[in-house]
Amino acid sequence: MAMEEKLRRTMMFVPGNNPAMVKDAGIFGADSIMFDLEDAVSLSEKDAARYLVYEALQTVDYGRSELVVRINGLDTPFYRNDIKAMVKAGIDVIRLPKVETADMIRDLEGLVAEAEIEFGREIGTTHLMAAIESARGVVNANEIARSSERMIGIALSAEDYTTDMKTHRYPDGQELLYARNVILHAARAAGIAAFDTVFTDLNDEAGFKRETKLIHQLGFDGKSLINPRQIDMVNQVYQPLKKEIVTAQNVIAAIENAKQKGSGVISMNGQMVDRPVVLRAERVMRLAKANNLVDEEGNYIEK
Amino acid sequence: MTNTVQDIHMSNATQKKKWQAFLIKLGINQFDDQELDVIEQTIGIYDDDQLVATGSIAGNIIKYVGTCAIGEITKGARFNQLMTVLENRMALLGRFHQFVYTKPLYVQSFEHIGFKLLANSNEGALLEKGSPDVQDFLNTIPKAPQGVQKIGSVVVNANPFTVGHRYLIEKAASENNLVYVFVVNQDVSLFRTDERFELVKQGVKDLKNVVVVAGGDYIISYLTFPSYFITNTQQIINYQTTIDARIFKNIIASALAIQTRYVGSEPLSYTTYLYNQTLVRELKPEIKVIIVPRIAQYNQTEIISARKVRQAIADDDFETWSEIVPETTKNFISQHLAELQMRIRKGQKINGN
Amino acid sequence: MEIKKTAIAGTLESSDVQIMLTQGTDGIVFDLVSDVVKQFDEAIKKTINQVLSEYDVQNVIVKVVDKGALDMVIKARTVAVVQRALDIVDEPKWEVL
Repeated sequence: MAMEEKLRRTMMFVPGNNPAMVKDAGIFGADSIMFDLEDAVSLSEKDAARYLVYEALQTVDYGRSELVVRINGLDTPFYRNDIKAMVKAGIDVIRLPKVETADMIRDLEGLVAEAEIEFGREIGTTHLMAAIESARGVVNANEIARSSERMIGIALSAEDYTTDMKTHRYPDGQELLYARNVILHAARAAGIAAFDTVFTDLNDEAGFKRETKLIHQLGFDGKSLINPRQIDMVNQVYQPLKKEIVTAQNVIAAIENAKQKGSGVISMNGQMVDRPVVLRAERVMRLAKANNLVDEEGNYIEK
Repeated sequence: MTNTVQDIHMSNATQKKKWQAFLIKLGINQFDDQELDVIEQTIGIYDDDQLVATGSIAGNIIKYVGTCAIGEITKGARFNQLMTVLENRMALLGRFHQFVYTKPLYVQSFEHIGFKLLANSNEGALLEKGSPDVQDFLNTIPKAPQGVQKIGSVVVNANPFTVGHRYLIEKAASENNLVYVFVVNQDVSLFRTDERFELVKQGVKDLKNVVVVAGGDYIISYLTFPSYFITNTQQIINYQTTIDARIFKNIIASALAIQTRYVGSEPLSYTTYLYNQTLVRELKPEIKVIIVPRIAQYNQTEIISARKVRQAIADDDFETWSEIVPETTKNFISQHLAELQMRIRKGQKINGN
Repeated sequence: MEIKKTAIAGTLESSDVQIMLTQGTDGIVFDLVSDVVKQFDEAIKKTINQVLSEYDVQNVIVKVVDKGALDMVIKARTVAVVQRALDIVDEPKWEVL
């Protein structure tokens, strides 16, 4: 879990059996691309989707996007072969749906490790994430987030969750407030990423913006998306302010300064700079670069 | 995406009404019970809540295909999506061979997704895709050896095989070097398909230049000519017989080098009478149609027909049926009389073809 | 290996290819319909032939409807349809991937 923190503002869902979408998934600039072998694929096409995603991972250049695949659940006949194929393909992250307990992730971890050995992939290089889609999953979110060294994040999946809670989604999102906070805390406590659920009404742009602002405010790393059109809108919400960038640049300068002096203590304006501040500054600069707000040298670009 | 595939249930009156209204707007107007009753599955593609494409499965036939251009997706893309769903549904049922009737206007759209034209007419076209297809069917039929000059053909339902059939085939055999006898394959008659086929084979066994062949899907079947088995209007019969005749002429006869088709004159069945007329009109000039006057038993005026045999079986009238069938058919009926009569009592119709 | 049952994979949608395999008796026989120009026909057949040989399928009728699929899509669909036709969907041959 000590790996470098990545930007994960946007995780775009791509139906795993659709060649046109699978081949073009890299051109929209999503931070993560999630190939879906689960809900987007009908029962009779599970095998075909698996091989399509496999071949795409071998041949298509997806740039810097993190590559995620949502496999079929533990209780399905497709689970094991999905794992094998995706480990062999060298996927970055396997996302397991409908996770309710830490044991489910440990089961997955065991099979992933076996597949890594079988296909000669370096042990531990396949990362995992869990989708929480039920009350039980929310209650166990802490354990799930800590269940494996391979975990990079947990995500809320609201459609099934609200059904399980005997409600449905509302525009104001009150029904998700508890789950969002629990998942976010579990992720932060475990040092992994937290992803918010999809927003399905493509015609309601205002609603999408409102929800994105809310989860940004709460502290989520980002959001799952079903349409490339949503990527820009999320990135805009996650764009840092000029003030934040200037502060971050000052922190970075202080770090450089300390390095040059060979000092282990970073100080700025006479105050000691502690780790969370450093991490935050780095994150702000990553966001600034990703939004083209700074040039190669880190200078703020006035617009 | 906003396009979702859903089942449409004909038992749901609201759904059915919306489905019909959608198709009527696209110019599809025939919703007779005969057409609807055979539908096993109907699917709809919806853009949000609006029906934008539909198609139905009935056996090997894809029916009631309609797509419109509402929404973000083009009509062509939606058509291909719809056909994929229908073909995959059929594959799940173990059916890898599809037929479709469509307007001549849409022939190309179907050809672009792998369908092949069997026959075209002003009113409609018949196409097929998958396997086994008409080529596979033709491959199962023995070809005439090199040098065989005159090749004739006869198509019979033979329900059951009578001395009338025998007379027709004998005449053809005497005038040709080789005669193909196609036995109608649709299994809806009093005598089952395997029984009819066997009775024809036995009945012509002594004619060395006669080859008996199952007619498959391509000669007088539910597919090419459903009105042979169910009543219909003259307009529909004309359309269907045209398709049937053109498949015979352009695909079957041309592959087997058939030059002549023999048919019995038809004073009894109006449908078959119309069929003969279509054959005369359509098969020329490549194929000659010879209408052979039907014969009567020596001491009677009424001509021989299989229908008469069936009626006599129903009436338990040994005298009547036994004298108009050959020995082979007579033996079969004698051995199976009770069973045949049981089939009639259970509702098997005997007054059709 | 012998084709155990007729099978189909892929779709008729843009960038995809639909492939159907049926038992044959006379080598690998193609029936190909393509939206793109004829010169790609050989490339499509080559990719399919390669996968068929990896599974040691020698007698088969291959019906193809191409909608402008990339090579990787053709390979993926061929793998899917061969495994269906050989009835080994649940026990895929991993070394072919």
